[in-house]
Amino acid sequence: MVCYKTKNDRSNLGERMINVKNLKRHYKTGQIIVKALNGVSFDIKPGEFIAIMGPSGSGKTTMLRILGLIDTQTSGEYTIDKLNLTDLPEEQRRYYRLTQLGYVFQDYALIDEMSASENIKILSMMEGKEKIQALKEAHKTLVKVGLGDKDKRVPNQLSGGEKQRVAVARAIAKKPKILFADEPCANLDTKTSEQVLEVFKTLNKKYGQTIVMVTHEEWHTKYVSRVIQLKDGLIVSDKRKR
Amino acid sequence: MFKDFKVGAVIASSTLKRGNKKTLAFIIFVLALIFINLVFLPSMMGGLGRMFTNFMEYPYGDIVIEPSEDNTYINNAENILKKVRSIQEVRSATKRLDVGASIKYKEKIVGSTITGLLPSEEYDISNYPYIINEGEFLGDFSRDEIIIGAMLVEGYFGSEIYDNLGTVGVGSFINVTYSNGVKRIYKVKGIMEGTFELTDLNALVHYKEIKNVLGVDENKATSIVIRVKNPEDSAKAKEKIIAVGVKEPVFTNNEKSDAILRQAMESLDLVNVISRYVSLIVGASLILIIVYINVLHRKKEIGILKAIGISPNSIILSYAILSASYVLFGICVGLLLYFGLIFYFTTNPVIFYESIEIIPEIQWLLIIQSIFTMIILSVIAGIIPAWFVTKQKMIEAIWGRE
Repeated sequence: MVCYKTKNDRSNLGERMINVKNLKRHYKTGQIIVKALNGVSFDIKPGEFIAIMGPSGSGKTTMLRILGLIDTQTSGEYTIDKLNLTDLPEEQRRYYRLTQLGYVFQDYALIDEMSASENIKILSMMEGKEKIQALKEAHKTLVKVGLGDKDKRVPNQLSGGEKQRVAVARAIAKKPKILFADEPCANLDTKTSEQVLEVFKTLNKKYGQTIVMVTHEEWHTKYVSRVIQLKDGLIVSDKRKR
Repeated sequence: MFKDFKVGAVIASSTLKRGNKKTLAFIIFVLALIFINLVFLPSMMGGLGRMFTNFMEYPYGDIVIEPSEDNTYINNAENILKKVRSIQEVRSATKRLDVGASIKYKEKIVGSTITGLLPSEEYDISNYPYIINEGEFLGDFSRDEIIIGAMLVEGYFGSEIYDNLGTVGVGSFINVTYSNGVKRIYKVKGIMEGTFELTDLNALVHYKEIKNVLGVDENKATSIVIRVKNPEDSAKAKEKIIAVGVKEPVFTNNEKSDAILRQAMESLDLVNVISRYVSLIVGASLILIIVYINVLHRKKEIGILKAIGISPNSIILSYAILSASYVLFGICVGLLLYFGLIFYFTTNPVIFYESIEIIPEIQWLLIIQSIFTMIILSVIAGIIPAWFVTKQKMIEAIWGRE
């Protein structure tokens, strides 16, 4: 894994993978100020598989986007692996996203004109790897999610579940510290959802992958080790499973 | 930067390979038309310019020597011819005697310039022997024979604009009264048609005929017309002619063309330049619009690429490569169409006034300039919209809201 080099870099995994302190995200819609996150604090340990749940508008997706460095907070701070990411410049945020974080989008967010392996390959190439090496790595990752034989297919030649598995493969290709998944089963039927959640479970159990997943399906919680409930931008419950 | 370029190339190539083929074909077709617009009209204009310049070759060859201002004739023509013919670049040279005359056929009279020339020498000098439309060119023993320009004959191109000799034709006898009052009767041996007033309103007789009419010796000429081995050496040959001691004014064909056709050529050049700039502006705008629409259509994709850690430079470069590729394909198709059109209009020239043929002229420099201009414009047109979108917040690019 390519490590991110800054003064704050910590190569050893501490007890807290993520530390969030009083995170707020307010934005304006017309004249109304929406308080999507209104002071959220919590920690996530390495190797945890967490489900963030809550009704629509509770702030779960907003929180995931901020932690995934796709959005920025209004106030508060957060660290990932003891590195304070609160005010990181955009170029460093991008490099961190590339090398340390994985993000699975609700609607797959694959590049339609790229094959499954190309969707993954560009990440390794972005890190400076040669095309052939990048392609080999992409294939390996696709094998991990059970799509080793479909690496040349473009998204419209794949089923919804397969697309989501390619999206997962892309997210884990760089062996990220944390895998974020924003309602990864929202567009999938139950059977396909189970397949995707099994992939997450394997990644978590077999490789110790830390996963933070937003979901609104109660039955998804059987796969996770902890459930954080949000409502109106605040944490209303935080339960670990035994 | 190289890493960015490689990633950009992968993104661009997958878009080209797997993007909508109909859209791609449409973009390439539009760009091909833009390219054609840039190069084809100037080629036709060039052909028009070349046509005018070629006309000048009838009276002036590649180089012409004329009497100095105070003299009616070149007084030492034989001596000058000897000097001129000794110059390495000169292929051939001949003398001519021009004189004003009125020509009468039946009841019709026209004024004309009659040129006395040495027929066998003209074959290697001018196009006169090759533009005989009816009858034959003069021979070395032609004395009572004349070649008349087509505009003097009723029914030929241009004859309706000028006074003409009516139904005169090959074999007709015409009365000529020279400016010094000498009268002659000639049999029309041929009709020449160069579709240009400087030839088609004139008449040709043997040099010796004019010499006798004017009562001058062999050393007299109103012009010495020279053909060089390589037309590009005209200026060099002119310098050498002056250097060997020719005191009379010496002009290259270009100088004569400039003097006579300057206004027309300048107007043509102006139209050409305006058309080129308009084409470039329209072309650049179209490329920008095409790429901009393409970028807008892929705004979400750009946001996703950023979100997964692809650098903005890679994304911008991918669009630069993409639009440069569109343009390169467009140029290739444009070149095929261009050469197709050139071939068509060379074999089926544009006919002007029924008999003037305008053949397009391939302008390589302009083609190369247009190719480079279009590529540079396409890269800029690709970069600008992509740069704007990469500057947008990811949330806005992907989900269309903050």
